[in-house]
Amino acid sequence: MDSQHPVWLTCDEGLERSRLTVFFRLLLALPHIVWFAFWTLAVLFVLIFNWFATLFTAKPPPFAHRFLTAYARYSTHLAAYVSLTGDKFPDFVGRPGSYAIDLHLPEEPQVQNRWKTGFRAILALPAWMLDAAFVGGSRSGYSNSGGVLWTNAFLAWFACLATGRMPEGLRDLNLYALRYSGQTHAYTLLITDRYPDADPFVAPVPEQAPHHPVRLPTGEDDLSRSRLTVFFRILLVIPHLVWLTLWGIAAFFVVLVGWFITLFTAQLPEGFHNFLTRYVRYGTHVGAYLLVAGGLFPGFAGAPGSYPIDVDVDPRARQNRWKTGFRLVLAVPAAAVSGAVGTAAFLAAIFSWWVALITGRMPRNLRQSILFSLRYSAQLNSYALLLTDRYPFASPAPPAASAAPPAVSPAVPVAE
Amino acid sequence: MTLRGRQLAQLAGFALLAAAWVYAITRLLHTTVPSNLHLPDLKAEDYFTPRQLERARDFERFVRIDYVLSQVALLAALVGYALRGERLTRESAAGRVGTGLLLGMLGLGVVWFAQLPFGVANLWWERRHNISHQGYVSYVIDSFFGLGGTFLSVCLVIAIVMGFAGLLRNRWWIPGVPAIVGVGVLVAFITPFLIPSVHRLHDPQLRADARQLQRVEGLPKIPVEVQDVHEFTTAPNAESVGLGPTRRVILWDTLIRRNRFTRDQIRVVLAHEFGHQKHQHIWKGLAWTAVFLLPIAFLVALATRGRGGLYDPRAVPLALLVFVVLQLATSPLQNSVSSRMESEADWTAPNATRDPVAAMRLFQRLSTTSLTDPDPPGWWQALVGTHPSIMDRIEMAKGWPGR
Repeated sequence: MDSQHPVWLTCDEGLERSRLTVFFRLLLALPHIVWFAFWTLAVLFVLIFNWFATLFTAKPPPFAHRFLTAYARYSTHLAAYVSLTGDKFPDFVGRPGSYAIDLHLPEEPQVQNRWKTGFRAILALPAWMLDAAFVGGSRSGYSNSGGVLWTNAFLAWFACLATGRMPEGLRDLNLYALRYSGQTHAYTLLITDRYPDADPFVAPVPEQAPHHPVRLPTGEDDLSRSRLTVFFRILLVIPHLVWLTLWGIAAFFVVLVGWFITLFTAQLPEGFHNFLTRYVRYGTHVGAYLLVAGGLFPGFAGAPGSYPIDVDVDPRARQNRWKTGFRLVLAVPAAAVSGAVGTAAFLAAIFSWWVALITGRMPRNLRQSILFSLRYSAQLNSYALLLTDRYPFASPAPPAASAAPPAVSPAVPVAE
Repeated sequence: MTLRGRQLAQLAGFALLAAAWVYAITRLLHTTVPSNLHLPDLKAEDYFTPRQLERARDFERFVRIDYVLSQVALLAALVGYALRGERLTRESAAGRVGTGLLLGMLGLGVVWFAQLPFGVANLWWERRHNISHQGYVSYVIDSFFGLGGTFLSVCLVIAIVMGFAGLLRNRWWIPGVPAIVGVGVLVAFITPFLIPSVHRLHDPQLRADARQLQRVEGLPKIPVEVQDVHEFTTAPNAESVGLGPTRRVILWDTLIRRNRFTRDQIRVVLAHEFGHQKHQHIWKGLAWTAVFLLPIAFLVALATRGRGGLYDPRAVPLALLVFVVLQLATSPLQNSVSSRMESEADWTAPNATRDPVAAMRLFQRLSTTSLTDPDPPGWWQALVGTHPSIMDRIEMAKGWPGR
């Protein structure tokens, strides 16, 4: 799928990290950041020239194309390095193939639609906003929020220092953010007129992640949406939100009692497990409906198989008492990731809402992005509510249903 | 029990219910306004200048046209929804009751679309006459999000109705009506906490007046609060809300700001609202709701039988249409009941203030500030008149000394 997009990302980097360079990463990147700032200044002038040239000739001039592709590539190398997604110190000129995490761009200038060129700044607005949610303000210049990439980088810094390895899930998630950001840059810089693709389930993200006790199986969806239900979506979901809140109050007390029981017996009682599983599933159904990823009005019982976007939770199992005792504290980093991913999903939902209202169809790639957020959120909720002691896995790759090894090793991602 | 025996038992039950219904009406119709009261026949021209009358009538002419058209649009939208709405069941994965909730909410959504242009037109007219200050965008957004509360209410009602329909099929209305009224009681109880922008009455003089009037009317201490509405409207208003410990009187700040009304006039308003509390009008209103709801629910059950009754969510669009038609058809009766209670509160006010002149001045002022036609046509009064006409109220105040 990704190969169809003229801009794609490859990752040829393992998970091992040098603790020394991780510790000083931000300081080590300082020369790059200064150089990047100067380069960005020059890019502004070249971009204006490139816009006029592309508008008149339908094709960027070769020198501008080379200059801008090098810049887009370099910014990806730099972001990968600072965010700990890459380990090696990048070069300063953005040469193709010079870095393990590389952005592949069209080598030659491409013929572009003049309308899309003329209105590029307006058309790119949603992509910029989503890019800001993925990468944060420092790169996109849109917002001052951390975004997915920098939230992950902050958390990964501690993990890398402690273990000497980049957490696999965070790395995969960063690759997704970097790919989207690279495509947004290419679109903004008039390297291509192909819109950025928000689908998280494409390379270099692995096809499948390791088994996780909480999964999000999704049924068939023809992506068509009723405009009427889309228009009133936020109001239609109100009864569900009220019900979810009431259910949440009951769940709180169940978890409170369940926490003590699990601490002593290392297992959540069966009835508690089933009750909380339904609660997590129902919350996911409601979230899917609210965010337009689901087309159908969900039921109120959180019954398994009752909604096309469902949550599968493995049967209850023994849990580590230490992890149970400190569950809330341990859940904080995952909550930070969930918040960042949720912001992106929320933006994706707003754009989807508009598109579905106008065209009667849900954009597939935005739906996938929202589904990923829902899955991570379901895993986080299951972890926090003691359904499993397995930490939420941040990789966009869907987890395998069984505990068999993943189909593609995440350490050796496929390029195209 | 034989078939005939069962039919007889049903008939007896029905007769008992009808008798209780009639008895409830006779009890609820009781009023403290003397039945032998002879009110003077006054002319609006004697209390309002030709300019004031012309302005109010000109204003209301447009409001009436807008209202009639909006009701036509409402019915047209609901007829269309009743015919085609059941197709929306395919948008639900929520089972029988959940799908019913969805169809109910979408029905109200369709109604919102149909009535929005008339609401905007009415706002334009009110802005033109300086009655409203609300912006158009703010109006549309507010009314859209205001639908949220309506959606919740309709969900609650449909959940009750379809829940009982699951147990009793077409006899859902027998336990359904008391259950819905029970919810109404709960809502009436918590209403004071749902009203936005409310604060305590700060004016010490008015607070003292309120306390004195409560004593005269034999009421316990009932809080008087002020709601800030001047950003949206210039029209004055007041209301009695809550039940038991949540009872309170709420004055719109448009009534007490900038000395638009004299202290004596505000005392009349307070006495009127305390009159509602004294005569338990909120409880009576709930009882009247039950009285009207019982036959309406029965007829809705009857009308939807062809579509499987309200057990089947596909009947919800038709049920909405039938309900609204019956509501419209009974609105003259419901308005006369409401006007009767308002008259009783009006009658209580001069009993407490001993100042019928202030009451007359208040009603005159109310008419000129909100551009209400003091003597509207009978059909308009029957359709929308929840209160007696201004001239009827002035006549009552005028007739009070000769009680």
